Amino acid sequence: MVSASEVAEAMYKMVKESMGQKKLKPTDLTKAMLEIYEGRVDKATCKAAIKELVNGGKCVYTYFGGSYLEIPHREGAAND
Amino acid sequence: MAVDMSERKTDFGPPHYEQFLPPIIKENYGKWKYHEVLKPGVMVHVSASGARLYTVRAGSPRLISIDKIRNYCDLADKYCGGYLRFTSRHNVEFLLTDQKNIDPLIADLKALGHPVGGIGNAISSIVHTQGWVHCHSAATDASGIVKSVMDELCEYFTSTKLPGKLRIALACCLNMCGAVHCSDIAILGIHRRPPQVKHDRLRKECEIPSVVAACPTAAIRPIMVDGNPSVEILEENCMFCANCYTVCPSLPLNDPLNDGVSIWVGGKVSNARHEPMFSKLAIPFIPNNPPRWPEVVSAVKGLVELWAANARPYERMGEWIERITWPKFFRMAGIEFQKEHIDDFKHAGLTYKRSAQLTR
Amino acid sequence: MAGATYKTPKLDELEKGPWPSFVKEIKMAARRSPMANDLLGQLEKSYTEKIGYWKHGGIVGVMGYGGGVIGRYSQLPEEFPGVSHFHTIRVNQPAGWFYTSKALRGICDMWEKRGSGLTNMHGSTGDIVLLGTVTDQLEPIFAELTATGFDLGGSGSDVRTPSCCCGKARCEWACYDTMAVCYDFTMSFQDELHRPAFPYKYKFKFAGCPNDCVASVARSDMSFIGTWRDDIKVNAEEVKKYVDGGLDIINNVVLNCPGKCMKWDGKKLEIDNDSCRHCMHCINVMPKALAPGDDRGACILIGSKAPIVEGALLSSVLIPFIKMEPPYTEIKEIIERIWDLWCEEGKARERVGEFIQRVGMGNFLEAIEVEPLAEMVAHPRENPYVFYEDYFEEGDEDEDEEEEEG
Repeated sequence: MVSASEVAEAMYKMVKESMGQKKLKPTDLTKAMLEIYEGRVDKATCKAAIKELVNGGKCVYTYFGGSYLEIPHREGAAND
Repeated sequence: MAVDMSERKTDFGPPHYEQFLPPIIKENYGKWKYHEVLKPGVMVHVSASGARLYTVRAGSPRLISIDKIRNYCDLADKYCGGYLRFTSRHNVEFLLTDQKNIDPLIADLKALGHPVGGIGNAISSIVHTQGWVHCHSAATDASGIVKSVMDELCEYFTSTKLPGKLRIALACCLNMCGAVHCSDIAILGIHRRPPQVKHDRLRKECEIPSVVAACPTAAIRPIMVDGNPSVEILEENCMFCANCYTVCPSLPLNDPLNDGVSIWVGGKVSNARHEPMFSKLAIPFIPNNPPRWPEVVSAVKGLVELWAANARPYERMGEWIERITWPKFFRMAGIEFQKEHIDDFKHAGLTYKRSAQLTR
Repeated sequence: MAGATYKTPKLDELEKGPWPSFVKEIKMAARRSPMANDLLGQLEKSYTEKIGYWKHGGIVGVMGYGGGVIGRYSQLPEEFPGVSHFHTIRVNQPAGWFYTSKALRGICDMWEKRGSGLTNMHGSTGDIVLLGTVTDQLEPIFAELTATGFDLGGSGSDVRTPSCCCGKARCEWACYDTMAVCYDFTMSFQDELHRPAFPYKYKFKFAGCPNDCVASVARSDMSFIGTWRDDIKVNAEEVKKYVDGGLDIINNVVLNCPGKCMKWDGKKLEIDNDSCRHCMHCINVMPKALAPGDDRGACILIGSKAPIVEGALLSSVLIPFIKMEPPYTEIKEIIERIWDLWCEEGKARERVGEFIQRVGMGNFLEAIEVEPLAEMVAHPRENPYVFYEDYFEEGDEDEDEEEEEG
């Protein structure tokens, strides 16, 4: 089995590459990981990986009509 | 911000309700036998043990300050051993064991400006959303209309003279955070103008693929404007949900000329007698007229009093209309039937009259 | 108090009249909070211009959670600097909305220091809503809330804060312990509540009887409505007292029964319980005389929602009757199967009710391993276009026989 940390790293890469193009939902990331690490990753590991990314501050949950995982950034609507 | 996650308490949920239950409830939990409405806004629950629990229910504007919450706390301390609760319709309830405390409590609530009522055949507080006080997609204010309507209908909150229960709800846009779609009378804010694209700001504020993806009816398309990427709106596909505006503040669809209120009738959620029903369109559009929306207030009051004068005991608005039929409702209410009243979304055909059973 | 003094002639109109005034509430908070004061200014402008001035924020929150904070910014931060940030906190309410004054005062003291001093008691989903604070206060607010035993509620594509009626605490009609179930489910699904991982929101509401005081049938993806399956309990003497007291039992009770299962011969009320639809009407009219039976449980319905995106839905029957006894394993297993399926195949912003409409209830039931029952439909299909997945071939019958023998 692949560790949650390795999955987290792969997820982080995906989020980073997609930034500004398409927002990714946690389910998008989980589905992608299950495909990439065929049989060596389960949903629980993906869940743990997301928790690791968010608790470590590398990703944040965002809400734009639905919930997404993104790299922390200043949002368009924010005032100083 | 640096946060130490190792020490952090998370996911422990709400406090357990048991610590907030007054002793009489703990002792009689699950043992209640029956209840009686003693007078408007006051009821007693009687336990198999013989214990009697008195409830006094008071109306509230939902938007309340901590000063008001502290006032409630003072009353709870004075009369109820420090215990109180709220209802699913924003009312505050005081739970008393001593019948003698009922009238002094009601007097104190009145002094605070809070009417007592909302139990039995009455109007309860209006369930509503945030409106201009806090919402980005509001097509109208919520608290202002609610206040104006309840000022007019307050006597039906503080009495039980209506034929049955009447539930009013208000949502300030189609998102319906207040899920008003099954109310006897629903007041619903509507937009009528598609978003205006602020091309200069959109480039800086929004991700174009996310904006395009946000539209449930695919009415947003990427285009180039003066050499810069932006979007265009296919206006005939827009259903004014404001989801694009949630994603991108450069697509405002709030518009003073076109925003307003629609009024819906005849919904219910309880299973009593008739099964739950959706509310149906009565008045398609009334322009916003703050601060007191007199046209909305008089329309709602008219509907309440028409129902009150004609419904049989226990008959909810929707049950009454079903009995007398919709054409008669429109005639009695003096509402002109228009094209907008006829559904044109999915399964609209199910709402056509498919028989010759008509009244005169 | 520092800050601008606004003339608010329009809002002042809403201080008049017998119903309690939200403007008075904002003014009360504005005596100490520049934020509430600028809210007053901006709201007066909305009342003059007939338009709102808020922007939706999508990023702010507390560390680790994806729900519980709604970002909000003014479009007019120069004019009304106090509401430049005006974020909302959703705090998970205790089941049944019971409080002690001590617990509420704790929240008030925190909110006096760290927010506008304005609240909703409560929001539509059921949370305590703390209205208006700035980004920098979010972590301190979370720290103080958790220190007093309160946690955040849901927002975004997650389990939204479950809510319930007061149930057995103060209602003789509660057919199951709504507060216990609500608390249990809230605790079981903390991760799903705080870390959005669904296509869209998922709401639970627990109503103790078919009167559905929490509007679960209209406002929750999963509605638990208490009901019973034995006979209505009748106290004949009390029935007579109601009639002697002036109740028109024929018109108001018997003729209002949707199952037409009641008869009154002038002395005795007869109920054909096999035809009872458990609507509650007769019990509502005569609470001293009639009561739900003793074999109590819940009917579980699925899928209600407001119009956005594909139209409003009411919940429909998923499990006609189930005893509501801890640890609720069977129900939770079904929920997990629903979530697995919906996460796998649901589209963004597609509520479970819309998902069922799209794939078909029959296919949905098959996927979550629940048997189809006649109780799930208002009537069977009227259209003959049935999507059969298999067809018979010559020799099929022989094979069946062989299997039976084997």
